[in-house]
Amino acid sequence: MKKKVGLLLVVIAILAVLLSACGGGQSAGQSAGQPAGNSSGNGQSAGTSSGGGQSAGTSSGGEESCTVTFGAAVSLTGKYAKEGEYVSNGYNLYVEEINKQGGIQVGDKKCKVALKVYDDESKADRSAQLVEKLITEDKVQFLLGPYGSGNTYATTAIAEKYQVPMVEANGAATKIFNRGFKYSFAVLTPAPYYLRGIIDLALDQDPNIKTVAIIAENGAFALEVAGGAKDYAEEKGLEVVYFDKYAKDAKDLSSLLTAIKAKNPDILLGAGHLQDTLLIVKQAKDLNLSPKVFGFSVGPTSPEFRNALGSDADYVFGGAQWTPELKIQSDDVFGTPQHFTELYEAKYGETPPYQAAESAAALIAYQKAIEAAGSLDRKAVRDALAQLDYMSFYGKLKFNEQGMNIYKPMAVMQNFPDGKLYTVWPKDAATKAPIYPFKPWDER
Amino acid sequence: MKILGLEKFFSGRKGWLWGLFGLFMLALAVLPLFASGFWLRTLTLIFLLAAMAEGWNYIGGYTGYAAFGNVAFFGIGAYGTALAMLRLHFSFFPALLVGVAAAMLFAIVIGLPVLRLKGHYFAIATVALATAVGEVADYWTDFTGGSAGLTLPFFDPIEYSGQFFYYISFLLVIFGLWLTYFVMKGKMGYSWVAVREDEDAAKMMGINTTWAKVSAFALSALMAGAAGAIYGYWNTFVLPEEVFKIDYTLQMILSTVLGGPGTILGPFIGAFLYYILITLLVFFFHVGAFHETILGVIIILVMVFTPQGLMDFLSGKKKLTLSSLLENIRTHKV
Amino acid sequence: MNYELGQGLVNVLLLTGTLTLVAVGFSIVWGILNIINIAHGAFIMVGAYVTYWLFTLWGIDPFLSIPISMVLLFIVGYIVQRYLINYVIRAPLLVTFLITFALEIVIINLATVFWKGDFRSVTTAYSGAGFSIGEIQIPYVRLAAFVIALLLTGLLHVYMTYTKQGNAIRATGMDVDAARLQGVKIAHTYALTFALGTALAGAAGSLISVSFPISPTMGGLYTLRAFVICVLGGLGSIPAVIAGSLVFAFIEVFSGVYTPGLKEAIALLVMVLVLIVRPTGIAGKAFYH
Repeated sequence: MKKKVGLLLVVIAILAVLLSACGGGQSAGQSAGQPAGNSSGNGQSAGTSSGGGQSAGTSSGGEESCTVTFGAAVSLTGKYAKEGEYVSNGYNLYVEEINKQGGIQVGDKKCKVALKVYDDESKADRSAQLVEKLITEDKVQFLLGPYGSGNTYATTAIAEKYQVPMVEANGAATKIFNRGFKYSFAVLTPAPYYLRGIIDLALDQDPNIKTVAIIAENGAFALEVAGGAKDYAEEKGLEVVYFDKYAKDAKDLSSLLTAIKAKNPDILLGAGHLQDTLLIVKQAKDLNLSPKVFGFSVGPTSPEFRNALGSDADYVFGGAQWTPELKIQSDDVFGTPQHFTELYEAKYGETPPYQAAESAAALIAYQKAIEAAGSLDRKAVRDALAQLDYMSFYGKLKFNEQGMNIYKPMAVMQNFPDGKLYTVWPKDAATKAPIYPFKPWDER
Repeated sequence: MKILGLEKFFSGRKGWLWGLFGLFMLALAVLPLFASGFWLRTLTLIFLLAAMAEGWNYIGGYTGYAAFGNVAFFGIGAYGTALAMLRLHFSFFPALLVGVAAAMLFAIVIGLPVLRLKGHYFAIATVALATAVGEVADYWTDFTGGSAGLTLPFFDPIEYSGQFFYYISFLLVIFGLWLTYFVMKGKMGYSWVAVREDEDAAKMMGINTTWAKVSAFALSALMAGAAGAIYGYWNTFVLPEEVFKIDYTLQMILSTVLGGPGTILGPFIGAFLYYILITLLVFFFHVGAFHETILGVIIILVMVFTPQGLMDFLSGKKKLTLSSLLENIRTHKV
Repeated sequence: MNYELGQGLVNVLLLTGTLTLVAVGFSIVWGILNIINIAHGAFIMVGAYVTYWLFTLWGIDPFLSIPISMVLLFIVGYIVQRYLINYVIRAPLLVTFLITFALEIVIINLATVFWKGDFRSVTTAYSGAGFSIGEIQIPYVRLAAFVIALLLTGLLHVYMTYTKQGNAIRATGMDVDAARLQGVKIAHTYALTFALGTALAGAAGSLISVSFPISPTMGGLYTLRAFVICVLGGLGSIPAVIAGSLVFAFIEVFSGVYTPGLKEAIALLVMVLVLIVRPTGIAGKAFYH
């Protein structure tokens, strides 16, 4: 009996030893690559004081072994599995293309690009754990963002702690950037700008539009989108007749839509995620709620929207960070949105959603910054990112002081009755004129 | 009336048993000198989980009330601390006390009516309250920051933040062990166990069962609230969806049940086993997507074969044999 | 009549139907077996996906797939009870509570892995169509769901009252030992009861999938709702479930009008209050025991 007790405790003790051994081994490797014998958990000096140590590690093996390693924790399972897949597709497509061209130019040599992607299970605490692992154990040089504002919020703090740059492409909430962080950058247009395009479009179609109802999922990102839309609508002289938030993961919004119908607004704008968008359209049809313009921040531009709703998707507008039809000419690996689309379709068999494009754009931002810095030193690359001003296939890549890209306008897409999505705004990028007004449900 | 595995620990074997345990704790105490940031983070998570499990053990293990809403204390602890730091400009330690006090106060106010409920009703009332508190935190933008949450300053100096949170969580765990030992030695611990074994009989013996239950609930809240306070400051933000996740309740119950409810070391050992297992599965065996299935299967196996946890085997109360594993089925099947 | 009030009342009524079906299976399992089936919502989710896949892959009408998901979940439920829960049924409640909790985790996790975590919905040619009385809209689909839900609940009542097996189930719920002496096979009856519960969950899932988007994590909310309904109505009879559903739907719809961001909290707090004041529920006493 004694033996058994002992056995179990010994197992625990072994686990502990294993643990410390693991940690010890890691930190040995770490300090080998660094000049100062800094203790572990203090890996930040790897980025700041010892950029030399980093680039020495990469160049010592000669031309062939020069590699730039990017790391990211992305939601491959769980709630955001679908969006996370787009993100990792975008990252991977870029890596494939740049490596075909030999890699990124660093000073006078070309470095291959490597990518390490972990699954954060759509959980913020796992995301934080993984990013800490990417930095302290896997020793990636640069970080890419996860999917969603919540996880981005959690991981940027860790990147900042270790002073590792993080260029993210899928967290649009401005609160991420209101913390004075120096190492976080976002390539996408921030949340408050999401619905501006739809308001502009509506007023362009019909200057007599007077009233707007805005609803938002109770989440950091969606509330910022809605708040931005409200401010903009009021600035344009519209009356906001209904403004409220609904519960996250709401299963039934008929009460809310009933209240909106009583106000009879000209425009109905929704800020949230794909699932609420689907619910709202379905239940709006149930209640025969037919505003003249029906638009959402995200949702209508993804293929699932059409798949899930069929012809009920018709005429609905959606804001888009990027569309395959944008008319842009760039000298990056993809050149044009159309070429990116071709490559994406060839590899993944579907039209690229904007999440994939912006994710690829995050790597392009890095590439241009690394080229400008001429080194892989994290501090130098960070400074180059802050100075970046580059026109990519995705749009303008330029960051304000907080690290947000407020220089790129949002596009608007509309679901047409032929079952396709067309870019209808801004006018110079539009492939079709918008259909206005929304065809009432009872006339279909 | 059996009082935990306590006597067992202080009987013959205590020397080397505690010796081994001491060595283990010593290893943990010096670990930050070697371990990477990733392992520090993982172990800090384990400590916080262990602390919450120790707290759950008071109400769930010793007192026998299946509380399923302890995450509410965790969340309130996190919010109380964050609000004290942001609104009252307290430094972290006084703010932590505010968070803990808020959690305990909530436990007492809620506990007085809710602890009159029994069995399933109590379990779901606690789930419901935890869910409701989370929703209120999510909704009440003016006070709690709503779903955008609260943003906290970084620990200063930032390069030692990993070590700081490691040690403070470690201290919380040790405090929890001491508290368990201290309480269970005294009258209060006796009254908890009396309530678990037979509440009516305890009442007849003159034990103030209301006080017993509320005190166990409030001390649960102390541990979970302190863990929440540390967690929020560590992550530098408090989000309702993060700190009111029912997963945390489940994890603390699982840790306790795995190790052994109603024992001093059970929750601590359970938290370690559980979280190390998950970490190994996710990071080294890359089961990734399936790890929750594995977790579920483990819970089922534990509940079917050793619902008293591993502590019975560790302390030598039971032999680890096929027949002892089947005992639960023998006594509880149709 | 005021439009919002009228539409609200119609919504209450339509929601009551679905909720009754959601809660009735849960209520039976709790009442007869004294098990809180946390996995109830997960079974609802599986039922919803059965309908979704049958519709998406083979174009089977969602209403026709109800019997299929019922049969499927009946079999699953029977196996779970017979070969798992029956072995620990007399253990302290924490044991069965955690086992069903674990089952929920496993089912949701597998669903997330195999079917992805994103929301899907069943959109038929007739979904969204409806008729109106004045301003008030009544969608056909939800009306049909309402009728079917009440129909199934009625059938359950008939089964429990007039068949031999139904009587055996009720007898077991009242007194296991007496039932055993009467020659009732307890293990089988327990499994049958649980299977009935999961089959009803499956039917509820099928109906929900027609009107609402579905995802692997949709179930937890329904488990909680079922519990609240059982508390509000009181445990033990089918009319109590309907009463509980009605009260719940009322709170849900009208709190949704005024504070859409705060839906469940109000219903949950009402439930806790009811529990504290009147632990047997609004409608009265438990008679399964």
